[in-house]
Amino acid sequence: MMRVDYFLVMAALLFSIGCVGVLVRRNIIVVLMSIELMLNAVNLTFVAFSHELRSMTGHVFALFVITVAACEAAVGLAIVLALFRRRQTTDVDDVSLLRW
Amino acid sequence: MNPLTARLLLEATIKIALLFFVNLTAVAYMTLVERRVCAWIQDRSGPNRVGPFGLLQPLADGIKFIFKEAITPPQAHKALYLLAPVIIFVPAMAAFSVIPIGPPLMILGRAVPLQIADVDSGLLVILGLSSLGVYGIALAGWSSNNKYSLMGGLRSSAQLISYELAMGFAVVGVLMSAGSLRLNDVVERQMQHGWNILWQFPGFLVFLTAAFAETNRLPFDLPEAESELVAGYHTEYSGMRFSMFYMAEYLNMITASALVTTLYFGGYHVPGLAALDLNPTLAALIQVGAFLAKVAFFLFVYVWVRWTLPRFRYDQLMNLGWKVLLPIAVAHVLWVAFIILMGWA
Amino acid sequence: MTLLSGLVIVVMAVALLRALMPSRPILSAVAGGPAAIVLLALYWRDLLGMDFWAGAVGFVAILSALLVVLHPNPMVSVLFLILNLLCVALFYIMLHAHLLAALQVIVYAGAIMVLFVFVIMLLNLKSEEGLRLGRGRQRWPAHLLGVGFAGILFWVLRHRTDQAFADSPRWLEGFGTARDMGTLLFTDFVFATEIASVLLVAAMVGAVILAKRRLD
Repeated sequence: MMRVDYFLVMAALLFSIGCVGVLVRRNIIVVLMSIELMLNAVNLTFVAFSHELRSMTGHVFALFVITVAACEAAVGLAIVLALFRRRQTTDVDDVSLLRW
Repeated sequence: MNPLTARLLLEATIKIALLFFVNLTAVAYMTLVERRVCAWIQDRSGPNRVGPFGLLQPLADGIKFIFKEAITPPQAHKALYLLAPVIIFVPAMAAFSVIPIGPPLMILGRAVPLQIADVDSGLLVILGLSSLGVYGIALAGWSSNNKYSLMGGLRSSAQLISYELAMGFAVVGVLMSAGSLRLNDVVERQMQHGWNILWQFPGFLVFLTAAFAETNRLPFDLPEAESELVAGYHTEYSGMRFSMFYMAEYLNMITASALVTTLYFGGYHVPGLAALDLNPTLAALIQVGAFLAKVAFFLFVYVWVRWTLPRFRYDQLMNLGWKVLLPIAVAHVLWVAFIILMGWA
Repeated sequence: MTLLSGLVIVVMAVALLRALMPSRPILSAVAGGPAAIVLLALYWRDLLGMDFWAGAVGFVAILSALLVVLHPNPMVSVLFLILNLLCVALFYIMLHAHLLAALQVIVYAGAIMVLFVFVIMLLNLKSEEGLRLGRGRQRWPAHLLGVGFAGILFWVLRHRTDQAFADSPRWLEGFGTARDMGTLLFTDFVFATEIASVLLVAAMVGAVILAKRRLD
């Protein structure tokens, strides 16, 4: 018998995998992809609860999360392109001019 | 398993098998049609030696492809290189599963819908599958380890996503008029209120142009331009793998033609057939024939345009997609909304 | 022993055999293939229920998420992320969120990921040789943090009672369709919708300016 908990557990696992990806990988593109994983997990939680509470507000929120993810991916990738043109690298550890 | 489920599974299996068979045969004979029509436009006769009227030419071409050597470029990423034709082929075939070919037929006591999947969001399924088909081209360009393929892949992906937007807006016009995302509802509305082409002509033009761009056909075929980029994203593919790309292009053409007929030309509707009051099975078969005739007409238009118009340059192409088609499509949505609000639809 | 757990064990055994004996790739196929077929023949009734497919899609989702984070080649990571997004779209269909599933495929997997593919192709990013996840001091704290975070999330869920998956058709009529979503978007959430459109325009302008070669 399938329960809503199953989807919440899945979302929790996806979120933690994305979290580890953001902290551990050095390639900027993979870091952005892990952020997308986390946003996805949050969406899944929204939709699961929306099914349990029988309200479509969760779906509307998930739609806005997808919109924000699109904007953030576009701007983030534009920044990556500009950065690559200046520093010729996509390694996060190499763009540390502001480090103290 | 209760008998109804078993029967549904059997029907679905038969429909899918028929879809595969008919589509692949149509793709094979489209190559012959292309060469013959091209020849007529150029005032010569095309292949007519192999079999009567050249009808066995696709068979000869198929055998040739199977026997050709499949050369793999040395530094190519093997997994992605082999996956790319599959990613192009599968959405092209799967998008046909939501298109209704005819009205429900009474077979052995049950009204069988002539559609593999009658989902509530058929239009969105089509848009989604065409979005996924972009990856095949991008991956083919990337994994070939060849600068011409990379450029071709980049150009083609950019072209595809640009024209997807205009196509989506044209589809919104149809969606507003039908009030539902199901393709059956779209066809039924056209059966009752007249074909969409009559009052959504700008949307039809936008959709047709976008469909040409989505299938990478001339005048939008710069990504595979033979004279410029060697062969664009499928430079490094040979033998059976190249034939997968070739087949996927024709499959996309067939799906796009079927979509244009379903969305704008009434799908399987034959005006005036209901008044004749025929046997229902005969009427259904006539309507299936009408659908196939309309799809064939649009395939002919595809080939006709290809051998008539010159190719767009890449910046002209992007200009057309973003600065011309998108504003026309948005204005078209306003126009459709105005007509529906006034109650003239 | 259900079909799902059996197939998962077979897949893991095949992967283990491939990893331990890379010079004999056919051995793992010979071992795994007949085992999978026998399992399918014995437990084919499981295929008709929803539990098997939910579990299978979940397995593929978690596996692809792990491979996104672990694989050295960024293009392959993008492909696994697309697979993950498609699995989550299947989850949405199971939760009766049909419009969101379609939008996930069209917008997220079909447009946002294409952006990632473009950037990787433009920058010509190759596989990272000698990928060591993280560098030096940050590595183990990051892994610990991930595990700890998952632990916290599971601990939060521990008191939830056994909510059965309600499939009663009465309240499901029109749930998750475009009509209901559109009604909500233009009545209760109209302000957020308008702000989202402004946000999209701002993001478009920003992306174009940031990626320009020379600001002239």
